[in-house]
Amino acid sequence: MNSNNRPNVVPLKFSFDEKSHAENDRQLFKDLAGRIEIRLDKLERELMESIQMLESDIQKAVKSKKHGDETLVKQDLHQLNHILESRLQKTLKLLSREAASGSREQSETIEGIRKASSHLIKLLSFDFYKTVLDRLGNAEYTEEVDPFGMDKRLLEKIKPILDFLYYKYWRVTTTGIENIPNEGRALIVANHSGTVPYDGAMIKAAIMNEHPKRKDARFLVENFVYHMPFMGNLMYRIGGVRACPENAELLLNSEHLVVVFPEGVKGIGKFFNQRYKLQRFGRGGFIKLCMKTKSPLIPVGVTGAEEIHPIIFKSNILAKTIGLPYIPITPTFPFLGLLGCIPFPTKWAMHFGKPISFERHGIKAIDDELLIHKLSEQVRSEIQNIIIDLLKKRRSVFMG
Amino acid sequence: MASKKPLQDNSSTSPGTVVITGTSSFKGSRLLRELENNPRIKNLVAIDKHKPQFSLKKARFYRLDLTETTADAQLTEILKKEKCSTLVHCALPITPPRDQAYSHELISVGTMYVLTACAAADVKKIILPTTTDVYGAFPTNPNFLQENLHKPKGDLLSKFLADCMDAENQALSFSKKYPDRIVTILRPCTILGPTVQSFKTRLLRRFFFTTMLGFDPLIQFIHEDDIMAAFHLAIFKDCPGIFNIVGDGVLPLSRVLAISGKFHIPLPQIGFKTLVQLLWYLDIAPAPSSHVNFLRYLCIADGSKAKKVMGFTPRFSTKDALLSFVGAERLREINLIELNA
Repeated sequence: MNSNNRPNVVPLKFSFDEKSHAENDRQLFKDLAGRIEIRLDKLERELMESIQMLESDIQKAVKSKKHGDETLVKQDLHQLNHILESRLQKTLKLLSREAASGSREQSETIEGIRKASSHLIKLLSFDFYKTVLDRLGNAEYTEEVDPFGMDKRLLEKIKPILDFLYYKYWRVTTTGIENIPNEGRALIVANHSGTVPYDGAMIKAAIMNEHPKRKDARFLVENFVYHMPFMGNLMYRIGGVRACPENAELLLNSEHLVVVFPEGVKGIGKFFNQRYKLQRFGRGGFIKLCMKTKSPLIPVGVTGAEEIHPIIFKSNILAKTIGLPYIPITPTFPFLGLLGCIPFPTKWAMHFGKPISFERHGIKAIDDELLIHKLSEQVRSEIQNIIIDLLKKRRSVFMG
Repeated sequence: MASKKPLQDNSSTSPGTVVITGTSSFKGSRLLRELENNPRIKNLVAIDKHKPQFSLKKARFYRLDLTETTADAQLTEILKKEKCSTLVHCALPITPPRDQAYSHELISVGTMYVLTACAAADVKKIILPTTTDVYGAFPTNPNFLQENLHKPKGDLLSKFLADCMDAENQALSFSKKYPDRIVTILRPCTILGPTVQSFKTRLLRRFFFTTMLGFDPLIQFIHEDDIMAAFHLAIFKDCPGIFNIVGDGVLPLSRVLAISGKFHIPLPQIGFKTLVQLLWYLDIAPAPSSHVNFLRYLCIADGSKAKKVMGFTPRFSTKDALLSFVGAERLREINLIELNA
């Protein structure tokens, strides 16, 4: 074996002068190649020595037994030696060539293969499917819930979306937020509009963003939502409660702010030509609730929500088969498909009126249906007035 | 109600002879063991079709099958002979039996026999444990079901829940007919704990759990020790009426499954009921399809009446009960405790 055909060994050296990255990398690769070379040399030498020792041993053995076939064994050994030598040289050449070229592409491809294989392993593993299925089943964001099913962690997660809608998309201007008491129970009564009830979420966002102390507005949600998958679940997690007197009473008795929409489905499903005309206010259940729990009533008017999805036509027969109260036909839905689900970016305004107290009527007034109907009409006209005031100030639907 | 005055300071008086029916059921056997070790109870009578698996110290055992037609006469004889004053009717199963006819005989007709025997033998107090499942899971349920505001609706399809409701109604009409007797109906929610076995624990013991896509109802649990505490209160105090016995707090179903480390498969609701009914016929599903609604809608009971009237405060919250069950499950997996221990 001759040592002349070996490539030059470059000593390990880190250069800090202004070389380009590629050059630097190549240098490093060369250094590495040199090191590998040295180690392989050592191995080679050791192998050669051991083979020679073996050779001599066998020679001795053959001589001592005095059987004359030493030449044959010698030839075989020489052949073996040769094969080993050539093989080692081949691998060395390959290695050195690779190291000398030091291509970044190669390292990149290797990295790519590694990544792809790790992804493949992930895809094939059981845990991956488990997490995906867990996410489908909402296991991701339901850590701890309060007795009514609200998940504070989830609310924090979706707060940026609410804030985007509140500040950027609908640019809500809120006035009279100081009318909400700093502590204690209160019933917030609002007009309902907009086909998809975004107004509940916006009132919640307004209280969360504008009020200095209150963060905990709960809203009562229509029954039909809880028949539907995902929707009912989501409503519970972000603080909605099914609209029934028992729930509202429990919430008010535990000093919560409760938002109600006495118009109900009639309010959100109005035709466009009926916009800003308040519908019948239920059966006055909210007045009875206020009397029973001795909580003040705060009327709220919301404008701008009527124009986000103007309803031209409603399909009731189709809706009943799915379990929805109605299927709206708007200028964009269903003609534009999913794009039609995007609401128009109108400018919203919201005003919280002065709190109304019913305590002077006493508890016995609960059974006085006539009085309750009168009071409910009063509240309705109050909200209607707020809306008219807000509409007077508004010059454009989209610019405010 | 001659005995009402001494019972109010209930430290020294004993409730007389206590009868437990259905001592081989989970609640019955647990209660029998507890009362055996209670020094305040002098006389104890156990009634069941099968003999208890443990040796009895002070309780006297009578063999009686409540599905027999002569059960009421036999029971009257036993009650009169032992001069019983309190009866705890634990024979109602907590798992829906596969044999619907037997289930009806045991729950509905069995309760009728027990009540007629109690009327004849002048038993002063009757305690009937059922379950909060009788309220039924509906999308129109309020978040907290109360005993006096909401009537149990059960499920139109569930024969088991209908039988339980029938047993309750019989007990209520009994209390109307005999106003001097005390009838206490305890409605515990899903019982969990280290030793309890029911169809719900069987579901939670499985490797996977099928949920409904897009539904994640809130769930309530009560620990088995708390149930025993409620029985004690009902035996030693006079509290007529219906009481929800529930743990504090609620957990979403997804969280329950995450805590118990279950792999869960959300399935769409179309065809889910049919699938479950099919599996129930094939002996794979532990409950008939009418119980599917509990995976979809709320059925949460308000335990404030039991707190106010009975003075019952659960030691374990919903989460604690679940954790105790899961802990025992882990020990069972590595064979540190036996299944029936």
